[in-house]
Amino acid sequence: MSDHTVRAYDDELMEIGRKITEMGGIAETMLSHAIQSLVKGDTELAQRVIATDPKLDALEREIEEKAVLTIARRQPMAIDLRALVSAIRIASDLERIGDLAKNVGKRVVAIDGQFAPQKIVGGVIHISDLALDRLHRVLDAYAHRDVEGAMSVWKEDEEIDQLYNSLFRELLTYMMEDPRNIGFCAHLLFSAKNIERIGDHATNIAETIKYLVTGESMTTDRPRAADGYTPLSTP
Amino acid sequence: MPSYSARQRKSTIVMALCLMATLIGVVWLFLILFSLLINGLPGLSLATFTEMTPPPGSHAGGLLNAIYGSVVMTIFGVGIGAPIGVLAGTYLAEYGRHSKVTPVIRFINDILLSAPSIIIGLFIYGAVVVPMRSFSAVAGSIALAVIVIPVVVRTTEDMLLLVPNTLREAASALGLPRSYVIRKVTYRAARAGLITGILLAVARVGGETAPLLFTVLSNQFWSANLLKPMANLPVTINNFINNPDANWKHLAWTGALLITVAVLSLNISARFFGASKDGQ
Amino acid sequence: MLEKITVKDLKFYYGANLALKGINIPLYANKVTAFIGPSGCGKSTLLRVLNRMYDLYPGQHAEGQILFDGRNILEPGEDLNLLRSRIGMVFQKPTPFPMTIYDNIAFGLKLYENLSKSELDGRVEDALKRAALWTEVKDKLGANGLSLSGGQQQRLCIARTVAIKPEVILFDEPCSALDPISTAKIEELIDELKHEYTIAIVTHNMQQAARVSEHTAFMYLGELVEFDETSKIFTSPRDQRTQDYITGRFG
Repeated sequence: MSDHTVRAYDDELMEIGRKITEMGGIAETMLSHAIQSLVKGDTELAQRVIATDPKLDALEREIEEKAVLTIARRQPMAIDLRALVSAIRIASDLERIGDLAKNVGKRVVAIDGQFAPQKIVGGVIHISDLALDRLHRVLDAYAHRDVEGAMSVWKEDEEIDQLYNSLFRELLTYMMEDPRNIGFCAHLLFSAKNIERIGDHATNIAETIKYLVTGESMTTDRPRAADGYTPLSTP
Repeated sequence: MPSYSARQRKSTIVMALCLMATLIGVVWLFLILFSLLINGLPGLSLATFTEMTPPPGSHAGGLLNAIYGSVVMTIFGVGIGAPIGVLAGTYLAEYGRHSKVTPVIRFINDILLSAPSIIIGLFIYGAVVVPMRSFSAVAGSIALAVIVIPVVVRTTEDMLLLVPNTLREAASALGLPRSYVIRKVTYRAARAGLITGILLAVARVGGETAPLLFTVLSNQFWSANLLKPMANLPVTINNFINNPDANWKHLAWTGALLITVAVLSLNISARFFGASKDGQ
Repeated sequence: MLEKITVKDLKFYYGANLALKGINIPLYANKVTAFIGPSGCGKSTLLRVLNRMYDLYPGQHAEGQILFDGRNILEPGEDLNLLRSRIGMVFQKPTPFPMTIYDNIAFGLKLYENLSKSELDGRVEDALKRAALWTEVKDKLGANGLSLSGGQQQRLCIARTVAIKPEVILFDEPCSALDPISTAKIEELIDELKHEYTIAIVTHNMQQAARVSEHTAFMYLGELVEFDETSKIFTSPRDQRTQDYITGRFG
């Protein structure tokens, strides 16, 4: 794409793009650290995740302000307008991802040293790896304006949803087995839910990338499994 | 590189020279006006406007017949010349604007504009006076009309060309026919300029002597017959000033003053009309 | 959607210079169609072909077809005065005639219709109301049209055009000489007028095109590059040249 006649306009758009990339990097790190801390019961690492979140919030505000200012100042059209709207949307998704990772971190701190059977954590690790992979790929797709890459993330979200559903049942079983597991498992369940929602945000970003590049919004609903709340059979 | 003060000195000198040149140009106008007032004002009285030109050797008399003749012939001259001039100017500016003939007509008109008026007088002498076997006011009016036409053609064309094209387009865009657009919009927009042009033409012919000398001659007596020689100011002045008779000389000066005042006031009012164009 | 005007393979020449290189475009009835493009792209030229304004000048001619209610108005023998009374035009610079506000409007009417004084008064009032100027001038109809402000003058010109009841109104950069408030008033007016007229507007202001029009045509170097719904053109144009132009990346 050739440059704008007004060079400052290019600079503003590039600056916003850079900030999004920065946010993406931070969100990714937060997520991976949150998962590590969960797996290892590393409360110190979890604290670090929590401490990182304000930075992400600040970046989101900054992107939003810059985008609004650019809209007011340049009256962007077409690709530029879509780039700015997308930046605001993606920044918001990334900020939410940060919040969710922070929440996982808080739960790690809350669990603090309680017994963590690896076989229970195993399912959470699996769903986390998937979410991390999605986030990584969707940020890549954003950097390269790659619609196909974004769409492959979008289509795979179903996998995370299904995994969450089975994890949900698994954790329920543990809780019913031994009431002492309930506290721990509840935290784990919420963490899994958070990670599942990070997957949702990744698909949101994928949708935004499609809009950014093609100008088309997603018309069909995302393929998704039935919601995680399977009705409990009465004992 | 000359110093600043040197440049300033140079500027002052050049400015002083320019000012002097201007003064030398303008001073003549004031000298003329001054001598006219000195010589003409004493002879100016009510009698100037009520009595006929006197025979030589008398002490009374006025310029009534000459003033009358000048006014009549100016009115006829402009009355004939101005409409022709306006129509021709309209053709050049409106209908013929893109025609190849237009520059040719404009060129010829410019030649006519700068033609010595005595030649026009001679031409009318040959074309009108000789066939009619008499000097006449009609011939004089025609001669004046021939002088009026190029002046009015030029000013009309110039003034119409000054009317922005957007105005014509706007009127045409309403679906109005061309002639209607010209009459109702273009003329109206250029009205001040058109009137100025005609006033300037009046001022121009008001003081013409040469064309009248060969066409109306002059008349010592009252005559309202357009087919006969008629008294008029310029020729009367011309005749009286060359005569040793003192009374005639005085009347000549008074007549000159009258013409000058008339021409000057016409020019000033033309200026006024031209200026009021922006303010309307 | 009804095509009020259909331009078919229109070529236009200034002398030997080809200014429009085969334009095909519809103007839909009761819709606003905006024409955008860099200076010299032919958008104003196209507008001036639609009411055959170019006929005022020698050496300009058009080829192709312009179907106005199905009839080709480029045919020789077309009654241009009648055509221009049906396809009105508002220009870039306000052009009030040097006469009173009342006469500015009544003047064209008088030629076309034989109206009594009271009928004429009614039509003048109606036209001024449609142009949203009535309340501002109703007490000074005898004042010279040139005494109005630029924005008012432009609305007077619109009133004048509306008074003779055209079917199509062409706006040639109607706001380029106006301040933002006057511009907003004209835009509001265009929004009102489209209920009764078919409107085409040439503008250099892309935001204006985006605001007032349903369809937008992007022209470049005498060609119609893209014609689509305005919402499409300004969010996701198909042609790269359109994209570059509207985002300010031109040249």
